[in-house]
Amino acid sequence: MSHRRTLQLVLIVTLVVLLLLLPKIFPTIYINLFIEIFIFALFAVSFNLLFGYCGLLPFGHAAFFGVGAYTAGIIFNRLHDIPLPMTLLMAALSGFLTGIFVGIFCVRLRGAYFALISLAFQMFLFTLAWKWRAVTKGDDGMGIFRPELHLPILGNISMMEISNLYYFTLVVVALGIFTCYLFLKTPLGNSALCMRENDFRASFLGYNIFLTKLIIFSVSALLAALAGALFVLFEEFVVTSSIDINMSMTVLVMSIIGGTSNFLGPILGATFYIVFQNWISSITHQWWLIMGILFIVVILYLEGGLISLFQMERFRFWVGRRVK
Amino acid sequence: MKKILTLKNVFKDFSGLTVLSGITMEIFDGERHAIIGPNGAGKSTLFNIISGLYKPSKGNIYFLDKNITGWPINKITRLGLSRSFQIVNIFPRMTVFENVRNAVVSRFNRCFNFITLLNRDVEIKRESDRVIDLLALNDVRNVPASSLSYGGQRKLELALALALDPVLIMLDEPTAGLNTEETRNAMQLIRRLTEGKTLIIIEHDMEVVFNLADRITVLNHGKSLATGTPNEIQENQEVNEAYLRRIKSAA
Repeated sequence: MSHRRTLQLVLIVTLVVLLLLLPKIFPTIYINLFIEIFIFALFAVSFNLLFGYCGLLPFGHAAFFGVGAYTAGIIFNRLHDIPLPMTLLMAALSGFLTGIFVGIFCVRLRGAYFALISLAFQMFLFTLAWKWRAVTKGDDGMGIFRPELHLPILGNISMMEISNLYYFTLVVVALGIFTCYLFLKTPLGNSALCMRENDFRASFLGYNIFLTKLIIFSVSALLAALAGALFVLFEEFVVTSSIDINMSMTVLVMSIIGGTSNFLGPILGATFYIVFQNWISSITHQWWLIMGILFIVVILYLEGGLISLFQMERFRFWVGRRVK
Repeated sequence: MKKILTLKNVFKDFSGLTVLSGITMEIFDGERHAIIGPNGAGKSTLFNIISGLYKPSKGNIYFLDKNITGWPINKITRLGLSRSFQIVNIFPRMTVFENVRNAVVSRFNRCFNFITLLNRDVEIKRESDRVIDLLALNDVRNVPASSLSYGGQRKLELALALALDPVLIMLDEPTAGLNTEETRNAMQLIRRLTEGKTLIIIEHDMEVVFNLADRITVLNHGKSLATGTPNEIQENQEVNEAYLRRIKSAA
């Protein structure tokens, strides 16, 4: 056991050092890729909080990504005085509140009904973003300037410098993912598992099914919105594609390819997806087709997703045991 | 004696099919009350109504002096009523320890705690281990519930109900599917563990019922035929005709 602990520690330290050194090693084009991976890793983790841990499969998770993106976009675009961390917090909060509102209607349902009504809400918000041109500029999209980050000792840090943006995104995403990781280890996180395993029995143990699912749903929405806000900061642009059905399906495909039975699965999935998509789309315009085939292959032949490849006996020590 | 649970003229029909028609019963503090009756008499429906799964079509249910008619399941459970199921109903992919811990977390009212880490909670761990100890589940503590033997799963079912430390515990055929030997052990366990608690039990094994229960209610066609001590029930003419004789002839 302690042997395993040491190995895990070594791996974590190596990973942290590697992540910190990446911008020094790779050219700008790759740094952009890494930032995108971070953002989608956070988005996929938020998706998996709902699907992998609470047993609710949303087809419209981009709704919250989009709400975060638009909130941040509008603030960046119109209210220049608000500090960057505050903007992210407000975007996350907007996602949380939207999550509560949408969740009230969704979380009583299960299976296909839940999936479809979450899709319906996403389509509604998509239409809002598309048609309410006065606020969102519709399908023209809204350009933004990345604001500076004011830090007490270090002074003003420009986000136009790509390595600064890299570190900023890394810190926010790491905080988000780590908070989610700890959250799942609390009694409330355990309640989420009870909902997935047997919510009927849980209610006879005194668990409030509705409230538990609503909280998990809203927290998941909060993290998705945070990812959306970072996405706008990165793209310097917000348009309806951040709230459309493609985005919902992207996060779903990422998470399932990566593996939803493990906390790290969606992170691996996001990494693989972005890298693979980048590579394959430079070869062919029909990359969606390839991705689709890959998705089918994973579902049919690799039930636990890519992460399960690492869970075979000789690798097991460092990925840890599967979520049961 | 103090009344724990009172049913007043409870009716239940499922779209025209009347399952319970006018059940009135009282359960006193500390008694072991058995509910018997032929298949389809409405025993399980009665349990489902008391525990909040179904709403009665008519009538009222009082638990600890509160009218709990129409309350949600978890609220009734929190008030101190816990039940087991006839068909094993557990968290199959969690270990035995985690199963019991789920109940203990709820009992300590920490379902919504997101500040502390569950693994570090000494109090919850100690109490979960105590319950596991009580039911002699130590050997299988870290085994996934789904890979337990059937008897083991029945025990775990009982553990979940007991871990809540309820005022009133309701067991729906806790010995269903067990052999004679296992039934005897299970009943000894139940007798020991429910000492000083109020118990309602649905049971088919008459020997078990007449040994365990302080009072018995006989249901037939959704009506309560009789309520009384085991002796009174055995001597009751009507009950004999409707139920006991049939069992004897079958045996």
